[in-house]
Amino acid sequence: MKVAAMSLVLTMATGIAGSHAQSVILPEEWTSYVDAYVSEEGRVIDTANNNISHSESQGYGLVLSVLADDRAAFERIWSFTNSELLVRDDGLAGWRWDPDATPHLTDPNNATDGDMLIAYGLVLAGDAWSEPSYTEAARSIVTAVGDGMVVEADGMPALLPGAAGFEQRPDGTGPILNPSYWIFETFPVFAELDPGTDWNAISETGIELIRRARITKSGLPPDWLVLGEDGVVRPAPDLPVEFGYNGIRIPLYLMRAGKNAALLDPFRDQSDDQGLYKVDPLSGRKIEPITEPGYRLIVSAMDCVVDGTAIAQDLGTMSATSYYAATLQLLALDFLRRNHPQCLEGAAP
Amino acid sequence: MRVVVYVAMASLGVVAGYSAVAQQTAGARLSPPGSGPVLIAQAQAPGGPGVNTTLEPPPPAPAPAAPTAAPTAAPPVSTTLATPPANRVDETALRYFARQGDTARMQAEMERLRNLYPDWEPPTNLLSDEYVPDNDIVRMWELFSAGDFAGARAAIAAKQEADPNFVPSEDLLRSLDLGEAGLRLRNASDAKQYETVISVAANYGDLLTCENVDNLWRLAEAFANTDNKTRAIDAYTYVLTNCEDAAERFATLQKASELLDRSELTTLLELERPGTDGRGEFADLRLDLARRAVAASLDEDGEPAADEDIDLLAEAAQDSDNAEDLRLLGWAEIARDDADAARGWFEQALDADRSAESAQGLATALLDLGDPEQAEDVMADFADANEEMTALYLDAAAALLSLQPRIELEGNVLGRIVDTVMEARNANTAQELGWYAQDFQQPETAREWFTLALRWQADLEPAAYGLMVASSTLGDQATVESIRTQWGARSARIANFGTTTTTQTSAPPVPQPRPAHAPAVVAAVQTTPVAPAQPAVQAVSVQTAPAQSSGSGGSGSRGCANFVPAGSLSAGAALGHGWCLMQLNRPAQAVDHFNRALQSGSERTRSDAAYGLSLAYIRLGLADNAAVAAAAAPVTDRQAIELEIAILSEKAVSAYNIGDYRRALDALDRRARFAPERNDLLTLRAWSYYHLRRYGESRRIFAAVAATGYGDAVAGLQAAETALRAASN
Repeated sequence: MKVAAMSLVLTMATGIAGSHAQSVILPEEWTSYVDAYVSEEGRVIDTANNNISHSESQGYGLVLSVLADDRAAFERIWSFTNSELLVRDDGLAGWRWDPDATPHLTDPNNATDGDMLIAYGLVLAGDAWSEPSYTEAARSIVTAVGDGMVVEADGMPALLPGAAGFEQRPDGTGPILNPSYWIFETFPVFAELDPGTDWNAISETGIELIRRARITKSGLPPDWLVLGEDGVVRPAPDLPVEFGYNGIRIPLYLMRAGKNAALLDPFRDQSDDQGLYKVDPLSGRKIEPITEPGYRLIVSAMDCVVDGTAIAQDLGTMSATSYYAATLQLLALDFLRRNHPQCLEGAAP
Repeated sequence: MRVVVYVAMASLGVVAGYSAVAQQTAGARLSPPGSGPVLIAQAQAPGGPGVNTTLEPPPPAPAPAAPTAAPTAAPPVSTTLATPPANRVDETALRYFARQGDTARMQAEMERLRNLYPDWEPPTNLLSDEYVPDNDIVRMWELFSAGDFAGARAAIAAKQEADPNFVPSEDLLRSLDLGEAGLRLRNASDAKQYETVISVAANYGDLLTCENVDNLWRLAEAFANTDNKTRAIDAYTYVLTNCEDAAERFATLQKASELLDRSELTTLLELERPGTDGRGEFADLRLDLARRAVAASLDEDGEPAADEDIDLLAEAAQDSDNAEDLRLLGWAEIARDDADAARGWFEQALDADRSAESAQGLATALLDLGDPEQAEDVMADFADANEEMTALYLDAAAALLSLQPRIELEGNVLGRIVDTVMEARNANTAQELGWYAQDFQQPETAREWFTLALRWQADLEPAAYGLMVASSTLGDQATVESIRTQWGARSARIANFGTTTTTQTSAPPVPQPRPAHAPAVVAAVQTTPVAPAQPAVQAVSVQTAPAQSSGSGGSGSRGCANFVPAGSLSAGAALGHGWCLMQLNRPAQAVDHFNRALQSGSERTRSDAAYGLSLAYIRLGLADNAAVAAAAAPVTDRQAIELEIAILSEKAVSAYNIGDYRRALDALDRRARFAPERNDLLTLRAWSYYHLRRYGESRRIFAAVAATGYGDAVAGLQAAETALRAASN
């Protein structure tokens, strides 16, 4: 299983020489994604969120462009990302870009997962298309994250979600962490790129957060959490107390990185054939269902990876409902088609 | 001396044709082809070889110019871009635009290529049919020139996908790099990420050209905001030395003036060139700087305005008749204690702009010159404009009324004074009306004005004294004694009234000119007599001496006696002015100044202003406004308690004055939780009991207060005892 973590990069690196790595994302899926969410100017648009863009959407766009082997789309998205977002003095990306505001960058704070996704997309592109300038751009972002966004939480190295607003408070609360910012497949890649930071130890912290959350009533980590003095996971102050749209990425990231399948249990326990749920992590109460096909596929993928349950046909190809659901669905399909093709045998190719 | 040269910009021929410097360095830079970093900013030892772009115009003859590497000086901004050989110039776009007959874009493209490749010469066969452009490449250039760099990048990738042998021209790639870098520089600048701005500029020196002067401005701003004023000045100097566009040159200095201190602008101003109209190109800016300096001099602790600034502004104002400038000059002269000069400016301002602002200045100058008659006249039309104008008008009216020897005022003048006093409920001018009536042998009328003044401001000693004098004239000895009882402890002239021989200081002079007919001072006055037993209470514990009985329009301590509009002061200056006005017992004017001070960015100032505003309202008898004002900004705990005490004191007095004795007692009870009751308030409490027929409690308190030697309580004690006896009978 562990090997799967690197399978993606390995596929790229050992694939057909030159620019034609094998993509498992179907051309029609990718076309519909680009048509729906990528603008001419290279902006990846969060359609459910007033059509803004953010460092995260740009990062997903870069990663998916490489997975879909579409260098033109990658160039487009990278040009925008580099010119419009990667302007911070610390070398990271401003996180929020609003087409209706002037200047467009309405919040120059960064979002660390967005920075990591951008860097990861650049690493993949550097490998796929043998373009060292992408690798160098990735290295400078990874180094900047390592220099500025790694904090200690309960003695462990952890990712600060952003430069401003999440640090430990004077009363000792915090730092505030977001476990869904641990994109597990990135850490081995970053470790190779930037030996100056112990990326593997940071990765272990992410696993530890998910483990510690299991002793809570829901078994799920809150989207935004702090570790108490006793080391116990607690919802972060002043932020919504919920496991929701942030956290639903965690099982996908775990699967893509080939982490221990037992870690998926709490996420499976809190889902059913309707999909995932927004859950109150304190009481375990389900607040509302999260049911777009892209999200339901995460549940089905877990079921197949753990129990071998076949995936329903209608989830086997991407349906572009919203930017975020479509993004997660493509990432899940990319994973399943590469690593568990038998899961999709009942589904259309 | 440090000489800074923007070699790279010059080297790339950006300013070729404009500057000899550029030509020399272009050659010098190209001599070791493509090797080593080229510095945009470079420090050189004095006397060393090199090019000097600072103060002097470029030397006519070429000087040897071999830029040496920068010593380890402040962040060396360097670029590693090398100029590709001219034969690699991609002329696709140029030929395409030529064919399309799009001369504007063709010219722009030619200009761009010339800037990038100084050695390049445009081809003569632009329209040659032999040249068949690749439409994909044309498309890339079209996208590029439309600013769609992302689209151009995607087009290159798509063509490479289709044709693995396709290699985009270096020119195209370099142009795209530069375009994206420019975008990034602007976005970083908008996001105030100044280090990114500086680093992009360092890596892409080609961005820093006269054609893209905005980039140079943004770089200068980035330097100025990262504590590197010297480099900011260098960037502005570069523009003013090398760039020709008049509007951009003007804007350059304008921007510099927003980021740099005035003294730092000196070297930049020296780069001024003659404008087309014969004046220096920065004449308007120089004037604006002078204007700003003069305006700043009016702030509290502001530097006094320099003579040359005032002269410059004066010269321009004479020509333009700009009312704002004229008024500014007027206030500047007031600040310099030259009221006569101020009057001249304000008269001119009033001619140019017949507004309340102009009248306000003129009236202020006239009051300073001791001419309240004209001041009142000038302000008459504007007295209703706003509270500030009303206050100034009333000051002028008070000064006019108190003129000695008395002058007989026209009926319409007196009428408008009375109207304004009644409207504004202004105690000070009301008591001046009282003295005016008294001097014109109208003691009845005088008594009514004094009574009214006391109703509006219970602690106004001149009104109490006036009421005493008028009552005495009318033979009302009971009122005389009642006032003596209430005020004797606080006013020597009231205590001694009638006991010493009359002197000029204690009684107003007999009017010299006997009016043929009495002025209608009584007009519109409706008063009710003051209850003889009414205690006079000083509601405010933070207190200063009341104003003098006359001449208050021009009296008072130095600093705020002269009227200054609150809006013309900085928040800090307005705060000081507000306190000064409180010293002069002009709470209505102080309200304006404290309100101005509340706009301060400093929390401390806002806090003090809220405190002052609240006190001013208390002084005006507006307890509810005081409570609101106290909440306008956080005040200290101590101040909050002090205000609460003062507000409750005022509420007690107000309630008492309208006969609501229960509410008066309630306010006193609440006040007692914060502070012990003073004698005057104990007396008020005792009178409240008295009016509620709780004579026993009343007598007990009067007795206790009288035992401390507080004279006001004696009359009360007698009244209470009388009432008790009557009740027991």
